[in-house]
Amino acid sequence: MHTSTSDPETATEHDPCEQRELIGDRGDYFLNRIQGETGVNVSACYQCERCTNACPISQFMDIKPHQIIRYVQLGWRIRLLKSSTIWICLSCEMCTTYCPNEVDVAEIINHLRMMAASSSIAPKEKSLAVFHQTFLEELIKSGRVNEFRLMRAYYSKPDILHEKIKNGTFKQELQLAMTLFRKGRLKLSAPKSKAVKEIQKAYSQTRGEII
Amino acid sequence: MKLSFYPGCSLEGMANDYCESIYAVFKTLGIDLVEIEDWSCCGATAAHSLSEIMSVILPARNLAAAEKMGLDIICPCSLCFNRLRFSQKMIKKKIFHIPWQVTGDIRVLDMTRFLAKPSIIQLIKQCILKPLDSLKVVCYYGCQMVRPPKITGYADYENPQTLDRISAAAGARVLDWSYKSTCCGASIGIGRREIVEFLSKRILQKSRQAGAEAIVVSCPLCQSNLDIVQKDRSDTPTPIFYVTELLRLSFKDKGNPKWFKMHVADPVPVLKAKGLL
Amino acid sequence: MEFYLKNPVGKVVVIGGGIGGIQCALDLADTGFYVYLVEKSHTLGGIMARLDKTFPTNDCSTCMFSPKMVHAAGHANIEILCLSRLLELNGRPGRFTARIEKQPRYINEKKCIACGKCAEKCPVKVPDAFNGDLGTRKAAFLTFPQAVPLKYAIDAKNCLYFTKGKCGICKKICPAEAIEYDQKPEILQIEAGAVILSTGFEPALTVMEGEYGYGRYKNVVTSFQYERMLSVTGPYGGHIRRPSDAKVPRNVAWIQCVMSRDLARNRPFCSSVCCMYAAKQAVLTRSNEPDTQATIYFIDIRAHGKGFDQYIDRARKRHGVRTKRSMVSVVYLNPENDNLIIETFDHRLDCKKEEEYGLVVLSTGFKPSNDFIDLAKQLGLVTNPYGFLSTEFDEPVSTSKPGVFVCGGIESPKDIPETVIQAGAAAAEASILINAARNSEIVCDKVPDEKPLDITPRVGVLICHCGTNIAGVVNIQNVLDYVKKLPQVTFATDFLFTCSTETQQTIIQLIKEHGLNRIVVAACSPKTHEPLFQDTLRKAGLNPYLFDLASIRDQCAWVHGNDPEKATKKSKALIRASVARALELEPLYDHSYRTVNHGLVIGGGVAGMTAALTIADQGFHVHLVEKTDRLGGFARNLKFTLEGNFPPKLIRYLIERITHHPKITVYLKSSLVSHNGPMGAFNGTVQNEDGPMPIQYGAVIVATGGRPYEPTEYLYGKNKRVLTQVEFSKRLVEDSSWASRLNRIVMIQCVGSREPDFPFCSRVCCAAAVKNSIELKEINPGAKIVVLYRDVRTFGFKELYYLKARQKGVLFFRYIPEEKPIVYDNNGKLIVDFTDRSLNQNFRVEPDLVVLSSGIRPNEGAKQIARLLKLPMVNEGFFLEAHVKLRPVEFATSGVFLAGLAHSPRFIEETVTMAKSAGQQAMKILCKKEMTISAAKAQVDPDKCSACLLCVRVCPYGAPFINEDGVSQIPPSACAGCGICVSECPSQAITLKHCTDGQILAKIDALLEPTDSSYPFPI
Repeated sequence: MHTSTSDPETATEHDPCEQRELIGDRGDYFLNRIQGETGVNVSACYQCERCTNACPISQFMDIKPHQIIRYVQLGWRIRLLKSSTIWICLSCEMCTTYCPNEVDVAEIINHLRMMAASSSIAPKEKSLAVFHQTFLEELIKSGRVNEFRLMRAYYSKPDILHEKIKNGTFKQELQLAMTLFRKGRLKLSAPKSKAVKEIQKAYSQTRGEII
Repeated sequence: MKLSFYPGCSLEGMANDYCESIYAVFKTLGIDLVEIEDWSCCGATAAHSLSEIMSVILPARNLAAAEKMGLDIICPCSLCFNRLRFSQKMIKKKIFHIPWQVTGDIRVLDMTRFLAKPSIIQLIKQCILKPLDSLKVVCYYGCQMVRPPKITGYADYENPQTLDRISAAAGARVLDWSYKSTCCGASIGIGRREIVEFLSKRILQKSRQAGAEAIVVSCPLCQSNLDIVQKDRSDTPTPIFYVTELLRLSFKDKGNPKWFKMHVADPVPVLKAKGLL
Repeated sequence: MEFYLKNPVGKVVVIGGGIGGIQCALDLADTGFYVYLVEKSHTLGGIMARLDKTFPTNDCSTCMFSPKMVHAAGHANIEILCLSRLLELNGRPGRFTARIEKQPRYINEKKCIACGKCAEKCPVKVPDAFNGDLGTRKAAFLTFPQAVPLKYAIDAKNCLYFTKGKCGICKKICPAEAIEYDQKPEILQIEAGAVILSTGFEPALTVMEGEYGYGRYKNVVTSFQYERMLSVTGPYGGHIRRPSDAKVPRNVAWIQCVMSRDLARNRPFCSSVCCMYAAKQAVLTRSNEPDTQATIYFIDIRAHGKGFDQYIDRARKRHGVRTKRSMVSVVYLNPENDNLIIETFDHRLDCKKEEEYGLVVLSTGFKPSNDFIDLAKQLGLVTNPYGFLSTEFDEPVSTSKPGVFVCGGIESPKDIPETVIQAGAAAAEASILINAARNSEIVCDKVPDEKPLDITPRVGVLICHCGTNIAGVVNIQNVLDYVKKLPQVTFATDFLFTCSTETQQTIIQLIKEHGLNRIVVAACSPKTHEPLFQDTLRKAGLNPYLFDLASIRDQCAWVHGNDPEKATKKSKALIRASVARALELEPLYDHSYRTVNHGLVIGGGVAGMTAALTIADQGFHVHLVEKTDRLGGFARNLKFTLEGNFPPKLIRYLIERITHHPKITVYLKSSLVSHNGPMGAFNGTVQNEDGPMPIQYGAVIVATGGRPYEPTEYLYGKNKRVLTQVEFSKRLVEDSSWASRLNRIVMIQCVGSREPDFPFCSRVCCAAAVKNSIELKEINPGAKIVVLYRDVRTFGFKELYYLKARQKGVLFFRYIPEEKPIVYDNNGKLIVDFTDRSLNQNFRVEPDLVVLSSGIRPNEGAKQIARLLKLPMVNEGFFLEAHVKLRPVEFATSGVFLAGLAHSPRFIEETVTMAKSAGQQAMKILCKKEMTISAAKAQVDPDKCSACLLCVRVCPYGAPFINEDGVSQIPPSACAGCGICVSECPSQAITLKHCTDGQILAKIDALLEPTDSSYPFPI
């Protein structure tokens, strides 16, 4: 009798990975930094893939949630910060909620996103990165965020409009805005919060960390 | 009864119909909502994504204001609720310096949790003039209101009950379904529209499979995503009601409320067919 | 040992009536102690009674277990106290006073005849907790058909009489006037020398958890509920049905590690048995419903027992069970058909895959019951953070309270044989404690004198339904009608379960009432049940040899399961043949001889030494034979354990005690070279430098041990930097400065295990890798450790250490056997290449050291012992026990027992437990004054014997010899009754008693008798 007990499901015929990755050649600096800054024990993961199964958009990700955790363990900083995953993650917390080892996957991804934002690495999902940045700027400017002003500011960011027209999303978003406008949902102006000064002060104090 | 109210930016903009319905419902119930004076944005996904300290400081300002008022906070927007709760937790950890006087001790309730209290449900039932008993609905909670449970306090995150109980109080036939807290993708709506549409369409399809004629929500972003995604549909739309809209509908015995026109998925055909208009 | 009282009480309280408690009670009652078996529910049985079949043999759980329950129930020295719990324990070890509260049953146990009328007429239906709330039972009920005691009960919580003060139907109709509504709880004060806790576990998953929609979706069930669904006595009569619509599900999914290995739910340990029971349930599903798909979602397959990997392999390849290594996050409902949707990520297609299942089974882990938590508090026992009574490695059944011992699932999650073994060990500890009071409290079983045999045979035939095991195929009524018409049959009837305790009483009555003097039972198999019925005959005053069993379950219902008509006809023929033989039966009388009260232990390792002490500490002499020049065995290689214990310390302690023990004779550099004689009075020869030495002994414990596998793989022996775990561990301890210089190491698991030529999992290697990783990380936190594994099998609480190792940064990567890691030397640089399939990436490590987790192999010497003692072995060279579930430390050969690595790879604490258990089984023989052996032996007719020596040559047991008269003689004590000599003897001078030519020919003639013209048998 043949007695091997491999799983046919996980064995693939082709070899997708010709090159070999060297592991154990770098220290634990990156891992320790992430663990220290987030308080999450990334090492506890046993690669059961429950996070990836829970994630509603894992198919859109270039690095799946369970792989994110492994990459952190291996100290693969550049790959992580260059990934699309850290930007498209919805922060829906499915991964974190279902992790049996209490690895806060969403927090790790969020942390990587912050690291990416403050690094010199160009974000893989530029339009998302710029959107978040614009949102924060608008918030700082007025204390509250008005959708119309936000979108106006967003489109005036370098390359955004150009890129959106090129890939056709501009038309989509314009139509969306028109629908909202017709339905009376798009307010062209909104009251500002008097808090602007306080917030701007707090923001400038933390600035070094953001940009 | 008096509560402090944190509407959030959406309720001032795209979801002003939601805001209006909340005020109307609470007025009928005889509960005072006092808007937090000079509230500011919670920071939403942007602050969460880009700066941890800002994601703590921004909600903290509103918590500080509410603490001054000494009133529990009612928060209708799921994301605002999540961010306020998150900030509270971080304030207690005392990692960051907060420029405002704040302890984090005040209670932050998502609005549905408040309305689903047994005493309030009793109150609601007394106000019903037109039970919506022919309307089959599913309740959609989205993610930010229930997850992560350590922040939101929802131990039943997979099968939350607040919206279900409120809708049932309004007389609607509430159906169970498995997609109550599946994400609609709101946070990447501007950059990766196709993912949001994929997720929202799927949720709609699952709701129809469950036999729902309408979806009840409490989050402005969930509402707009599930609503707008129906703009090009030709078949019967699935109206996406804010839970307070549903209550408002049941609190009046007749009439065709004008807030209907703000919905992309027109509620009129379904409500007419059910004899509710 | 100050607490050993000089005059202890010879009674023991055993708490918990599951398999652990029952085994423990039997092991004590058979060695001279009186046992109170305290069970909180209405019946004995525990979890095992709820199981349908068991892995890895797929034997029916009830069929194995029922005889054991019946044995316990009928044992003169076991008093069963159902509906009872321990309230308080006072006194000292050796002399405790236990206060026990016994709840009312509301039906008088002595009067109830189990006719079932009360349940039939009871108007109240409630969810049946025994069946996991699937299906209902009445408020007057019997937990399950084989319940012990087989007495109905009234559940006061739901009974109308108790809740509303009306009804009372059962009282009106009970023919035995057994209903007693006014029963009150009783408090019993019991004196006992020791207490044993075997309270077991219960499923950890409750509706409260909300996991995977359990309690929300009807077609999501726990593995316990599914076990009942599979069972013939379950809610669906053994047919797999969906609770929502009673349809057969076309695909069933199992989700593993529910409430196990889940730190987030504060249950970070592994429940040890779920992988195997899920595989078993999947196999049974595939065989009961071949059109139904079975899929198991898992993290690691933990098949760490003897032959378990082969079982998993058969499940996959022969039964087509699908296994998916992916942890499910959420179960969704398809509202249109009540199917369940499982979403997993498919790496090949790079997208989510939605799969629909008709039924989802959650493989839930275990927890101690709430009652136990209260009891532990009351007794002041120290439990682990998860409520289990985990024990120390050198005292594997001792609790924090002297005189209170523990066994079974409450100690840690474990399977049936582990529980049986631990029960034996607990019995051993209690026996040692109260040894001075042995035989002081026992009651002798009173067997009525045999009645003189009536010359005219009066045959009674009892036909068993065996639930639906037989009745589901064979038309019992038809068979019964036929049998009643047979001219030689005086009386015939049928029973649902002929083997139940209650039926035995009925049989005795029937024998007396109808004056029956030959009994034929048509039932399961004589292999398992003949002794039970023979005992019943004895109690009825009938010679036990006036009995025949027609195996209509095995030979009709099972083999002709798909042809009920043929099965029914064959049943008739088999019964007809048994009746014919019954007419030829003659009363026989068993032989007795004096027992030699010395034990022999072969092997001086931890197992052998512990077994020897277990016997010697009970005052009996032991010969300990070790082939090398020192004691200690395999464990000498081990420096420390995963849990931080030190085997060298244990070995030193054992050697110290052995050497000075007045009752132990040690033979070093010696081996057993001859062995003969019967159980209880063996003769052997020990050979050493001083020459042969004859010894006598009553029982033998085989503890020949194991040895480390010496790898030929991965450059072992060719490159100095490739070590085994054992060598690595030694060096870690001896040279920590060397350890602190290591930068990178790679560990490779399953070296020489789970391979085509050696399919066993060595059980201990995963823990060894985890242990050494943690140790190295503690010496040198900066070291990179990469462990390459196939499945991590740190079962039970060892899982906590796997978690700890990961938390310390040890990297675990999985490889598949088709893509083994490659180790090579590149100009002095050691390189390991491997592929990880969850990342789909090829990796390379340049380690300082490669550590191989090489497995455990049996000792070579075992073969010689196997030949000498005629013991069976499995292909891998380990010994084969008598029964993998219920007789794990015994051999089929009477008087020979098994312990330690000779059985299969195991941990030290498991070896210690097993050795104590084996010692206790041997005690059952050694503590008896005389042995009784069966009368079914070969006998030579000296007048016909021509002394041709053929019998002497063919006998595998060496029994026949040529006596002074020059003819062959066969001593009954040496004869195994196999019958080989009988068929070989050219002079037909040998007769096998109870199996005579006349009896066999009568049977054959009856079989060939053309009574049924439409269907002559055989075909």
